[in-house]
Amino acid sequence: MSNRIPPDEFEDINEAVGEEWESETTPYERIRHVIAHTYTPASADTVAEDARTSPKTARRHLNTLAEEGFVITTTGNHGGTVYRRSPESLVVEQAADILEHVSTDELVTRVAEMRDQLNDYRDEYGVDSPEELTIEQANQTLTEPTSEQSEIDAETIRDWQTTRRNLAFANAALSIANAERFVDGDLHSTDGSVPA
Amino acid sequence: MRIAETDEAHSLRGPIDRPALLTICGIIEREEPLATPALDDYLNPTVVEVTLDDGLCSAESARIDIQWTTHADYKFHYTDSEGVNFRWGKHPHDGDYIHVSGLEHYHPPPDATSDPNDVEESCIKQSPEALVTRAVLKLWRVAYHADSYAPLNAASNPP
Repeated sequence: MSNRIPPDEFEDINEAVGEEWESETTPYERIRHVIAHTYTPASADTVAEDARTSPKTARRHLNTLAEEGFVITTTGNHGGTVYRRSPESLVVEQAADILEHVSTDELVTRVAEMRDQLNDYRDEYGVDSPEELTIEQANQTLTEPTSEQSEIDAETIRDWQTTRRNLAFANAALSIANAERFVDGDLHSTDGSVPA
Repeated sequence: MRIAETDEAHSLRGPIDRPALLTICGIIEREEPLATPALDDYLNPTVVEVTLDDGLCSAESARIDIQWTTHADYKFHYTDSEGVNFRWGKHPHDGDYIHVSGLEHYHPPPDATSDPNDVEESCIKQSPEALVTRAVLKLWRVAYHADSYAPLNAASNPP
């Protein structure tokens, strides 16, 4: 692909990228893409619209993805089925990606670092979680309306939440690596504890 | 206090979503030969840093920094060697951006201003990261070939 090929003409950027996406993917792939990072329950109609397919097609593929464990179904406020990404499936996916790209030694070091960082947040702000910090910050705004900390805290809260979430993925990867060591080791154990 | 409140109301909702950042990296690698995406930290990423081999107009190099959260709020921030900045964003703004009806908005060049009067409605209305990312790359490429910042928030690329 040359860097000098001029881009195609288009009437509407949203339609243009939508049509491109449609031509390069199947409805199943688009539904999987949309639901993959849908963490709050959504109806099949909503998923269908984002995935540029019919609600009927969306429902069929979402149900297949639910059977595979990729998606979790619940009953929505209006009695219909709603869908979201299975957290278990997400954690396993992220852990597998981490194990593919990061050595166990590095993982051990980084998990310890991230734990330290979360402890530092707790010590610095005197609360156990970013959610508590949000509440405390709201109270502070009410009692000390001249406080200038709001902006800093919004970013701190996000960094705290982000590190906590990424530590969860890294911990899962480390657990799997450790478990694999022993499960795999059983097959060719030479430590004498297994009768020859 | 008003300023602090405004900034607070303008934050992205939720933590940065590592799974979404990985997906966005993959899309950029496939779609744009002039762009090289990388996570700032593979295990605990906060941003996708996209290095562009060439900048817009007279700039020789440029970068797009991408944040995406678990609530699908986002920022795509362009900055180049000439000091030009602009940004597409999606997050609550408490009605402060008077020209913006929804969450999607555009901070125009040259300085990605956050002046409530100058922030524009974004031409990007799609939600899935596949489509938002493709739209940003396409708008960048149109501007690149036109040697102009004007197409960056224009919905169409007329003949």
